[in-house]
Amino acid sequence: MTISLEEYLIVGAILFAIGLYIALSKRNAIGVLMGVELMLNAVNLTLVAFSRFTDTGVALSTQVFVVFIIAVAAAEVAVGLALAMVVYRNRQTVSLDRINLLRW
Amino acid sequence: MNLPAAEWYDLRDLNGISRLITEWVADWGPDWLASILTGVIGALGVLAIIGPTLLILIWLERKVIARMQARIGPNRVGPVGLLQPVADAVKLILKEELAPRAADKWVFFLPPVLIFVPAILIWGVLPFGPNMSVADLEMGVLFLVAISGVNVLVVFMAGWAQNNKYALFGAMRVIAMSISYEIPVVLSLLALVFFTGTLSVNGIVLWQQANDVVLFLIFPMSALMFLFGSTAELNRTPADISEAESEIVAGYHTEYSGMRFGLFYAVELANTLAISAFFATFFLGGWWLWGLDQWVPSWLILLAKTGLMYFVFIWLRGTLPRLRLDQLMSFCWKFFVPVGLVFLAVAATQRTLLIELGWDPAVALPIYAVINWGIAGAGVAIYARTAASPAQRLPSRPVMARGRLGGLRAARELADAGSGD
Amino acid sequence: MSDVGFHLAFWSLSALTIGGALMIIVSRNLIHAVIFLILSFIGVAGLFITLSADFLALVQILVYVGAIAVLMLFAILLTPRAARDNEESLMRYPAMILMGLVIAAGVFVALETDWGPMREGAIGTQAKIIGESLINQYVLPFEIGAVMLTAALVGAIALARQDDEDLPIHTASLIEEGVLPPPDGDAADAPAGPGDDS
Repeated sequence: MTISLEEYLIVGAILFAIGLYIALSKRNAIGVLMGVELMLNAVNLTLVAFSRFTDTGVALSTQVFVVFIIAVAAAEVAVGLALAMVVYRNRQTVSLDRINLLRW
Repeated sequence: MNLPAAEWYDLRDLNGISRLITEWVADWGPDWLASILTGVIGALGVLAIIGPTLLILIWLERKVIARMQARIGPNRVGPVGLLQPVADAVKLILKEELAPRAADKWVFFLPPVLIFVPAILIWGVLPFGPNMSVADLEMGVLFLVAISGVNVLVVFMAGWAQNNKYALFGAMRVIAMSISYEIPVVLSLLALVFFTGTLSVNGIVLWQQANDVVLFLIFPMSALMFLFGSTAELNRTPADISEAESEIVAGYHTEYSGMRFGLFYAVELANTLAISAFFATFFLGGWWLWGLDQWVPSWLILLAKTGLMYFVFIWLRGTLPRLRLDQLMSFCWKFFVPVGLVFLAVAATQRTLLIELGWDPAVALPIYAVINWGIAGAGVAIYARTAASPAQRLPSRPVMARGRLGGLRAARELADAGSGD
Repeated sequence: MSDVGFHLAFWSLSALTIGGALMIIVSRNLIHAVIFLILSFIGVAGLFITLSADFLALVQILVYVGAIAVLMLFAILLTPRAARDNEESLMRYPAMILMGLVIAAGVFVALETDWGPMREGAIGTQAKIIGESLINQYVLPFEIGAVMLTAALVGAIALARQDDEDLPIHTASLIEEGVLPPPDGDAADAPAGPGDDS
């Protein structure tokens, strides 16, 4: 058995699903951010696998795309964690269940 | 750059031996075995270098600092105290290894081991000779930067797991400082990469060889940034606030005793040695020394330059006082980062002029050197006059010593003035 | 692509990646979760290397391990009185079902699609190609990315900045110790200094 595109795609899908589960189920805002990061990583893995295995004309534009995703992820984490800190300062918690001032 | 013949006893290029072994394995074995064997040989070679070197360096550092502080230093164990590091190691091994009851067990036990990983990996891209590095990566500089960033996490793990406020303070200081000083280090290396046009560590040495110049002469400010930024990342004395004994007991390894502390200490020294070697490689020409590398083993030249740089580190440690955290931060963000950005632009411009206009490097490089030294001096002067914190600021005119007889008479007069009234 | 070393690398790195991700779900302690997240990131970086994307692997380690994970640790430590446990809410059962569906769909799509001709050899020097296409073909996204990073930097600082405690730290502590008078001027009620507790 050779390792080809499919194996990488399956690993990426599993990683994405785990990230999705974490993002949906964790109470802690920082835990949710971890899930989002995992999902972005899974997407990066899939994209790099495509750039390695499929024979498109443009050699590395997929990897350039991954570079942009990493940049966006860094920005997202910075802003997200700043938001978590602001929420913590106002509510003394980062638990997403307790941040319910706007609930019905 | 042809290798000396594959005679294994030719010590001029130690790579001959490992090449012989790997070629022999590749004859009969699968190729993955050969590549694994290369890695093992490289790692063993690195360990064989830094292990004994560390023992000597501990002694050397204590002796030199003692000399600078007008003391004698270790002189009891062995001739001129040479066996003192061995005695220390034996003492550390015999000590009981305590773990706080409230410590997080796994996270507490892992860091002394994990901290070795980046410390060893860093040596992988260091070229000891023309063809003599464990992995001559195409992106060696990026590898160096990425791997030294991992160190921070291990330090954090150590500091957090002990459940000790001093350890946590130390770890937070390390993280804040390392992250800040990564930027000047990266900027200085980026200027070199722009100018030489290669990301490979060996490529930078080859550039210096091809142009018959060491980069320290062309980019003095980058060298200063790399030197001081690495000092901060290594937690050595001008910037060792992470383990300031008078403030936070021993920093991030407060609760580590016995050989666990010994491992942290060894890794600190090994990292210092590695950074000295990288400084020698980037700015002093590495294994190359104006043709002397044809006569002397190239790794010996590199080791000599590394020793020189290590002495500079010891010198800094013996001379400078410890800075405060805010002083370090303002120095990084208000001086190094702007100046680094300026030098990035300067390096890009000079490279473009050199390549696109086809200038003769022999003429252009001295001019560049003069310009860059001028910019660097102007930057230092402007910072020292305007932006520095009051303690760092230069006086606008020199302060004269009081009285013609100098310090003693001035002191006596001061004392008289104090007691007389 | 069929030698033993490659198989070994792929399977161990996949196990590291997915195992690290699973341990984030399982571990109760948030800081342990971040450490497992780092393991997962390192596994993905290793997978990038097996895909001969060295540049991205190093960038992954530099950005994710060196910066993002450290940011998360900082955020955890800067929210001290928040709950440190990594528990799950009641959403976990629908999320579990969704996870199963996503895995099934991903595996199905990966196995059943005809991906066209496969490239055999690896790609050459990437840093050069990526850098050149960043400033030639993709210069506009590159600039937008730079602006976005600056905006994120400014935004994060603006959000996380404390306005109500603008006093320098040492001044505040001096006031607390009674060395300096409090800013309101009611110096009589100030706590006495360490020397005069008579």
